[in-house]
Amino acid sequence: MVLLMLLFFGGSLYMSIRISKKKENADGYMTAGGKIGFGISAASMTATWIWASSMYASATSGYTYGISGPIHYGLWGALMILLIYPFGRRIRKVAPKAHTIAEVMFARHGRSSQLMLAGSNVLGSLISLTSNLIAGGALISMLSPFTFTQGIVAIAIGVLAYTLWSGFRASVLTDFAQVVAMLGAVAIIIPVIFFAAGGPDLFVEGAKNLTPQQGDFFSSDAFFNQGAPYIAAVLAYAIGNQTIAQRLFAVREDLIKKTFVTATFGYGASIIGIGMLGVIALYAGIEPMNGDVNNLIPQMAATYLSPILICVFFVMIIGSLSSTADADMTALSSIMMADIYGQNIAGKKNANPKTMLLVGRLTMVGATAAALCFASMQFNILDLLVFVGAMWGALVFPVIASFYWNRVTNVAFSVAVIAALAAFLPVRFEWVDLSGGLGIVSDVVSVIGIGVVLALMSFGFFGLRVAVIVGAVSIVASAPFAIGFLHTYPVLSGSLVAYAVSTIVCVAITMMNKTKRFDFDIIKTRTGDFDTAETEIMLASESVIDDADAAGNGAYAGKDV
Amino acid sequence: MEIIALTAYVLVWPVLVIGVLSVIVRAFVKDAREAKKEGRQII
Repeated sequence: MVLLMLLFFGGSLYMSIRISKKKENADGYMTAGGKIGFGISAASMTATWIWASSMYASATSGYTYGISGPIHYGLWGALMILLIYPFGRRIRKVAPKAHTIAEVMFARHGRSSQLMLAGSNVLGSLISLTSNLIAGGALISMLSPFTFTQGIVAIAIGVLAYTLWSGFRASVLTDFAQVVAMLGAVAIIIPVIFFAAGGPDLFVEGAKNLTPQQGDFFSSDAFFNQGAPYIAAVLAYAIGNQTIAQRLFAVREDLIKKTFVTATFGYGASIIGIGMLGVIALYAGIEPMNGDVNNLIPQMAATYLSPILICVFFVMIIGSLSSTADADMTALSSIMMADIYGQNIAGKKNANPKTMLLVGRLTMVGATAAALCFASMQFNILDLLVFVGAMWGALVFPVIASFYWNRVTNVAFSVAVIAALAAFLPVRFEWVDLSGGLGIVSDVVSVIGIGVVLALMSFGFFGLRVAVIVGAVSIVASAPFAIGFLHTYPVLSGSLVAYAVSTIVCVAITMMNKTKRFDFDIIKTRTGDFDTAETEIMLASESVIDDADAAGNGAYAGKDV
Repeated sequence: MEIIALTAYVLVWPVLVIGVLSVIVRAFVKDAREAKKEGRQII
């Protein structure tokens, strides 16, 4: 295992060194200049969206909900990549040279909207980084003589080493190697485990281990407990996650559609495929070690794979968590570089690319240290992820509307997000008794949330008219079934309430704006490269002044340059 | 029939994965060749 890790991280470091430059460019460090080709962008989008937790969660879904379980995890996650690409094209059109969506929100609205989005991005990426370290630490402690703490430290250092110098450029290039390793492993491991566990005969002998719901491809249990909350959550993740936005700004504009479609198939096939290990475990009557379903995948590997294939499996998991962890590091660094330093501390015109790079690298080190602390404290990551998911759910409508509707104001954006969070918390965490009239109110709002989610999905592809029809029809169609019942699923209700309240409040306040109209062309002028020819000249002249002062001639002392 | 369908349901995913992997690898090779021809780094 030690040799494998050395090979994996050593190989990634070697790739990173091959493309490193003595003087990295700040824009290259954040988005690789916005000109990435299809091969790397598709690999990177796929690798980033697949993380270790999604593999574990898909298998858990297969084990818990039976044959439809992996579909209700993987298919919806995959479709979300597809569903956001029309929004991605619009975002790229109005802000072709931006680095983060929060940066665009600053240009569109102002500081409060930007900081809300940037804050949620930071929290989300930090939690994701922590979660990946935990998954790696647990795997290493299970398959090697090393402890959990030694495992998380080794992975953190390994990922940081190859990402620190070249940032996003290193992240996406190594993603290619990681996706080849991951997808190659998935293609081998699934059939090997299936046939080792009994092959087709397993479905005859193990059928007795399934409940009627687990054996039903159209299981309502699987849909309401896994699929529906996930549909609501991943739309928010896709819009609010800076790792996806960063790749959107990095890929060549004409390749956005191809990249997202390929990543949809790559993610879907891999994650649903890994979920089949949970289904096989269910048919085989395997009990998860220590009752923990997170042990299921490593347990299946240890039971059915040869030592060589266990190594392949290990590389698959390490690849999945490293590709997401390096994406989280670069996402965090670009937010601190562009949103905090670039827009709020120095200002766009005065931002020094050299200082930006320093900020980015220090952020990576700081974020890694923080994630190590959180991982060692063993916070409940799933609870934190659900919270961040809802926070992003509150942001989805205001963010999307801000890119299309020129009447949306900063006040409408900010108040809508705060109101949605205030409504989400008591529903999600059941702080109020929802058994009476409040439950009905929650259900009515949730039904509106269903309409909002489906309308947003339609809007990207078919425009406003179809979206309004889809939203209205889904509200009318779901109301008789959902009212009086949805509040018994707090995770789902909480997300739907966040969508509904943010939409209602954002629309209501926006409608009050009768005079102000935003010109979207302004965004292009307010966002853009930090490392331009002008900054090069400015830095070069500063260097001349420093050299001259160092030489003692003092010619430039006190001059305003 | 159900057994065949379930077997296909389990095994179709690795096949799709191989398909996506081949698309990505071919595109990467094409990107790398173009970059080499133009004398620039791939990223």
